[in-house]
Amino acid sequence: MMTSWVDTSCIITVFLSLIILSNYRVTAMIRVFALQSFVLSLLPFFLHASSLSGRDIFIVLVTMILKAALVPYILFWAIRHVSMRSEIKPIIGFGASIILGALVIAGAFWISLSLTLPGKPASDLILPCSLSTVLLGFMIMVTRTRAVTQVLGYLIMENGIFLFAVSLFDVMPVLIEIGILLDIFVAVFIMAIVVNHINEEFEKNMVSVSRSKMGEAF
Amino acid sequence: MCAGIYALGYMRPYKAKRPMGLHIFFYGLLSSALALILLANNAILFLGAWEMMTLSAYFLILFHDDDPTVRRAGFLYLIASHCGTFLLILMFFLMAHHAGSMNLDIISHTGFSPFLAGIIFLLALFGFGVKAGLIPIHIWLPHAHPAAPSHVSAVLSGVMIKMGIYGICRVIWTVGVFPDWCGYLLLTVGVVSGVMGVLYALGQHELKRLLAYHSIENIGIITLGLGVGLLGKTYHMPFLSVLGFGGALLHVLNHALFKGLLFLGAGAVIQKTHTGEIDQMGGLAKLMPLVSFLFLVGALAICGLPLFNGFISEFIIYFGLFHGLLHLPLQGALACALGIIALALMGSLALACFTKVYGTVFLGEARHHLKVSGKTSSLMLIPMLVLGGLCLWIGLFPQTMAKGAFLGGAYLAHTDFLSFDMGRVFSPLSYIISTVFLFLVLVVFLMVLRRILLKGLPLPVAGTWSCGYSQVTPKIQYTSSSFARPIVEFVRGILFFKRVGPDVKGDFPAKTSMASSVHDAAEELLFKPVYRRLTSLSKKLDINRIRYTQMYLMYIFLYLIFLLAWKLK
Amino acid sequence: MNIMISILSHWLIALTLAPLFIGIIAKIKAFFAGKKGPSLFQPYYDLQRLFQKNSVYSRTTTWVFRCAPIVNLAAVLVLSLLVPLGPFKAPLQFPGDIFFAAYILGLARFFMIIAALDTGASFEGMGASREAFFSCLSELALFMNFITLALLTHSISLSSMIGADIPMSWKLMGPTLLLVAGSFFIVILTENCRIPIDDPDTHLELTMIHEVMILDHSGIDLGYMLYASALKLFVFAGILLPIIIPIQMANPVIDMLIFLSSMLGLSVVVGMVESTMARYRLNRVKNLLLISFALAFFGFVVKMWRG
Repeated sequence: MMTSWVDTSCIITVFLSLIILSNYRVTAMIRVFALQSFVLSLLPFFLHASSLSGRDIFIVLVTMILKAALVPYILFWAIRHVSMRSEIKPIIGFGASIILGALVIAGAFWISLSLTLPGKPASDLILPCSLSTVLLGFMIMVTRTRAVTQVLGYLIMENGIFLFAVSLFDVMPVLIEIGILLDIFVAVFIMAIVVNHINEEFEKNMVSVSRSKMGEAF
Repeated sequence: MCAGIYALGYMRPYKAKRPMGLHIFFYGLLSSALALILLANNAILFLGAWEMMTLSAYFLILFHDDDPTVRRAGFLYLIASHCGTFLLILMFFLMAHHAGSMNLDIISHTGFSPFLAGIIFLLALFGFGVKAGLIPIHIWLPHAHPAAPSHVSAVLSGVMIKMGIYGICRVIWTVGVFPDWCGYLLLTVGVVSGVMGVLYALGQHELKRLLAYHSIENIGIITLGLGVGLLGKTYHMPFLSVLGFGGALLHVLNHALFKGLLFLGAGAVIQKTHTGEIDQMGGLAKLMPLVSFLFLVGALAICGLPLFNGFISEFIIYFGLFHGLLHLPLQGALACALGIIALALMGSLALACFTKVYGTVFLGEARHHLKVSGKTSSLMLIPMLVLGGLCLWIGLFPQTMAKGAFLGGAYLAHTDFLSFDMGRVFSPLSYIISTVFLFLVLVVFLMVLRRILLKGLPLPVAGTWSCGYSQVTPKIQYTSSSFARPIVEFVRGILFFKRVGPDVKGDFPAKTSMASSVHDAAEELLFKPVYRRLTSLSKKLDINRIRYTQMYLMYIFLYLIFLLAWKLK
Repeated sequence: MNIMISILSHWLIALTLAPLFIGIIAKIKAFFAGKKGPSLFQPYYDLQRLFQKNSVYSRTTTWVFRCAPIVNLAAVLVLSLLVPLGPFKAPLQFPGDIFFAAYILGLARFFMIIAALDTGASFEGMGASREAFFSCLSELALFMNFITLALLTHSISLSSMIGADIPMSWKLMGPTLLLVAGSFFIVILTENCRIPIDDPDTHLELTMIHEVMILDHSGIDLGYMLYASALKLFVFAGILLPIIIPIQMANPVIDMLIFLSSMLGLSVVVGMVESTMARYRLNRVKNLLLISFALAFFGFVVKMWRG
């Protein structure tokens, strides 16, 4: 039973990455990312349902607080001054990026065919799903033009790595995990500050662009 | 197969004011060439008949030879065909050299190494593909079809293109065993050809060019079926290969029927309105009721909708694809999944395209006031009726034709026809037939019900309401390009969509004009640059001074020398 | 004779129940809007009223226009025969009936589009063009779903695809089925012109795809069209529900109850989705459909991965 919960959370993770890829509203994207982190933070709970230890609960709580609450909050704070909350078209267009995203997922699964794992993971979907999430995050980072969305792409990549790490190693030193999380936290914080400064700088120029885009109906 | 039957009957109906004698001569030449190709058992005879077919078709296309575009189209066709023929000569040479004789029967009994078979396959694909219109070597098609008079276009589309397919089939049968990748390649080419063909068709607004691109799409479907069949052979699944080949063959017949119908209908329309541009037509259904009805039959058939023959052949191909999906190993299943998706996409895009054509040409109001000349002669109508009737008949009673197709398919696949479990395909088909009849019964019932309910009630006729819009003029109707716009813009990266005209600025813009067109990517990317380089090169070498007849003599001379050298070997 | 009885009973159930669920959805939407809303049986009253009225025809239209509602309704009725409704097995099932189902819907769609173009007005043309485009994308998603389901159940008949094998499959193939169900739900919303793809209530140019195509139909034609759309929703739900709720008891009464309550549940969900979302800008609709395709594709990939 728990296997299917693990499966489902893997699938949901990838699915949410795909949603972020196709979305063009930054606020929605941050919210979906928060949801994704929330689902991921529940993962140790599903994996060790039979033998919950205090350490697991600790990881769950820390991840939840840090990634599902704090990081989104920081990101919202970073864009609070931005007048235009939408996204300019990504480099390859939304429709094409969805199709490309689907192909990337297929590619990730295909690559996973030739990758063998040392231990026996809880579910065989974990490896391909984490690889897909990493690749999708990479795609988001590469095809987007706004700094905030690129940061989001990086964070999604980290989510993918988290998915991989947390499911494979039963014994995972808490220190390493906290270290990773702190890394992310600092990176996001710095990026938020930088983004804030850049946004203030360019805000004046962005207004004219948004005016001309208003007439763009179908 | 479907060949020469049409070539004879439908020329007369087209009324023309030009001297017809020469035209009739070449028509007869074309039909005899076609028959010869089918009967040829010897490679040289095949090639000779092929050349004859090419030449006579060229002269047929050039009926309106005072029009420079027509001449250019014909010339392009000639060059393309000869490039293909060159590859075919190479291929036959290889085959004959290996087998030691030009007789195709003997060739078929010799074994070919996989490497050689692969080379032959590629040569055949490109050589026959030019004639068949596979992307990206199809560029002569969209120019030649509109340039030729309509009945010639019908024969071109219906029969001559199929000769390319026939050639590929012949090679498949002759060589027999191919390396694995051939089936995949054929399937992929079919997918690309089909999808790109219909996408290009969507962007066209000249009637016959649109139909020409649609022929490319249907050739793609046929090639897809052939690919499935070949995959079946590679993986030793005779059921699959018979399904694939049989579906492809049936579609060959069906396409000839409904494409012929559509081209003849287009000819009637063009004859009446003196233009091929869709956006200038409209409301023709009231003026040409029978033609519009028959065109609708053709349109429904080409979209593969139930009731008509297109659905039957597409069903067989789908059946084969799903069978392959479930039973083939991983790569085969993936290829079949791709094929299914592509076929579904082609079907819905074709639906979009033909609703656009039918709606813009026949329905609504006339967009420009055209001088519409007299009644369509019944000589033109009768063949259309025959074709339409055949479409319906095969759609409702497919047993005989399907059986014939499967016979051909089994022959191609070198399997025993009797061992082929036809029941597995025929029982669903019979269910479909009975359901279709049920559908027709329902339609009649609902019509009667409507009559009864409306009895005694007045049926006023007014202008179009359209939610209270009062100023309805014909000009605000949707044009064909606006209809296709969402789709064309969606894939604008793949199609070369050019838009000429200034952007609309301000709240009350001044009167401007805009033109949009879709250009052929293969043409733009591959051939035009090469052509430009070649022309600049030839200008340097001053080859242009040689005229056509001399070039032909040179060809024949080279061919003779080649034969001589080979025989003396 | 047996099959005639089952066909007729199938139709009886479908025709009587289908408008009810449209009424339920409207009631849910009103509830969310804080209104009392029309009565649950309003669709029935509407149909009755329409069948008694006469029709007004535009000068521009031809026989195609008069024919389209008939073809539409007949096609959906035939489609309903392929789908099991509760304890009633589908009267028609044969391998490959999925293609027939998709293509007979295509036939209905073809006639609706050309009927819209027949009126010669720009509104209808707009709706027709969008319908043509979106149907391409939703057919893609639909066929991708069919592929995955065929791989799961090793058959290509609609009834056996959504048949009793499913409880086992949920244990093994839970994620795949979840993706397929999600993708199919979006297809349902598209085909039946629900928000966020299309607004079934307004008749303005901005919000419509299906609604605008039937603008000029009146009287009995409109009645046929309404009935056809109600039936279509019912039939599509009948395809989706056995995938999500694969319970099948031996008792037909319980089966019927399960079926009706799951239909009710789906209507409530659709109503909630409609009330809480706004209609997407048309650019976004295409993205939504592509996501539906991506979901189905993902399900396919997972299925191939799992073997």
